[in-house]
Amino acid sequence: MSSAIKIENLTKIYRKSHLGRVTAYVGVKNLSLEVKEGSIYGLIGLNGSGKTTTIKLILGLLFPNGGKISLFGNPMPDRKKLSLVGYLPEMPYFYKFLTGREILNFYAELSGSVPAARIDEVIKIVDMVPNAGKRVSEFSKGMMQRLAIAQSLLHNPPLLVFDEPVSGLDPLAIREMRTLILKLKEEGKTLFFSSHSISEVEKICDTVGILHKGEFIKVVEQKEWQEKNNLEEIFIEAIKDK
Amino acid sequence: MKQILSIVKYTLRQNIRNRVYYILVVFAIAIIFVTMLLSVLGGEQPVRILLDFGLASIEFFGLLLVIFAGVSLLLEEIESKTVYLMLIRPIPKWYYVIGRYLGLLVSVYLAMLFMYAMHFGMLMLKGWVFDPLYLIAIFSSMTKIAIIGALAVFFSLFSTSQSSSLIFTIFIWILGHFAQELKFLTAKMQFTPIKVVLKVLYLAIPNLQYFNWKDFIGSGLTISYWFGVSVVYAFAYCAVCLLLSIHLFNKKEF
Repeated sequence: MSSAIKIENLTKIYRKSHLGRVTAYVGVKNLSLEVKEGSIYGLIGLNGSGKTTTIKLILGLLFPNGGKISLFGNPMPDRKKLSLVGYLPEMPYFYKFLTGREILNFYAELSGSVPAARIDEVIKIVDMVPNAGKRVSEFSKGMMQRLAIAQSLLHNPPLLVFDEPVSGLDPLAIREMRTLILKLKEEGKTLFFSSHSISEVEKICDTVGILHKGEFIKVVEQKEWQEKNNLEEIFIEAIKDK
Repeated sequence: MKQILSIVKYTLRQNIRNRVYYILVVFAIAIIFVTMLLSVLGGEQPVRILLDFGLASIEFFGLLLVIFAGVSLLLEEIESKTVYLMLIRPIPKWYYVIGRYLGLLVSVYLAMLFMYAMHFGMLMLKGWVFDPLYLIAIFSSMTKIAIIGALAVFFSLFSTSQSSSLIFTIFIWILGHFAQELKFLTAKMQFTPIKVVLKVLYLAIPNLQYFNWKDFIGSGLTISYWFGVSVVYAFAYCAVCLLLSIHLFNKKEF
């Protein structure tokens, strides 16, 4: 199985300047990981551990200070290769004066060759048929999340990168998200996502990476937590004394 | 190219659904009507008053629209993170800057053309004799809007807050109307450091006096080669501002 994402020695140092005084802090340090094609990879860690930073570096929203990233063997940054990725941000925001369908049309046009029928298809996938014609300003958080998922699936990318996909969702929506992720895996897609929810991660992931203070401290395979029957224990064990 | 047009199309759609856009346009129309009332008090020159005040008000409201929308155009999207979903598309980043800028201009121009049509109708009702310089004046005002819009976009990426971008843009807009005075001051200045600063400022700010054709309507002035020069100047000025904006945008992290 070849790799969908390969990261080698990735480092990101944030620098903030205030009144001429520059403060530097680590976003991620010497991070290396590999996500196999067709698998579900979960990235877990405490707040500020570097999960979102890693995702932003993969997508080219941040520039690394060192290290290499490749997607399906293509070295990044390469904006053309972003067509291989669908992204769901942690807190999705949209243009409030446009309707859900208009937003999908817009992103479809920017993504290149997306057939018009695909827009209807993704609207059905995320179950937002009755609300697609409403303006985003009228959307609930759950509807925003559905729209965000829809836009990530529009161009049918082989890799999906989700940042905290279940954050702030109600139990029913969490279950729907889990079903969707598993269905996407069945279709052969690779999923890479960050989460705080260890219980969710252990239900759907094949591999889990644990990040702590910007450093990658452990990779856990599904077999391991199924044998121990507790990913939480493994996580706490890993970050303890670090 | 198709993607730039998409960005223009959806920027226009967003803007014309924004309530602030309508409030400003309605306010501008009200001002044109006030101008008509003022022209009644204008003694021997009622048409001139309607012509001058009308054109000046439309340009002023166009400038307000372009400055306020221009400084928030990119900054707001960066702050609200809506920009993420645009930047993860397989298109060059400069498409976004150019698409947003052109979308902004089209939105402002639509509002201005609507106001010009009303103004023209009122002038005709007052028995004004059409002068081709009226069209040149409209075109020049729109060119001025393009320059200020490009500056607003540049400052919104250069500075970190909307208020500072707003202040910078308004400052340059005001200074742009005094470019000749600045040149005169530079020539008279004896103290070299200040002379250098004034010279740099003179070269950097747009000379907006090139676009004041509205002052010559009815003067019998023929359209000289200066009109062409001013168009080329505006195009070059906008291009430089946008290139700098693209450079800043490409270097920006999100």
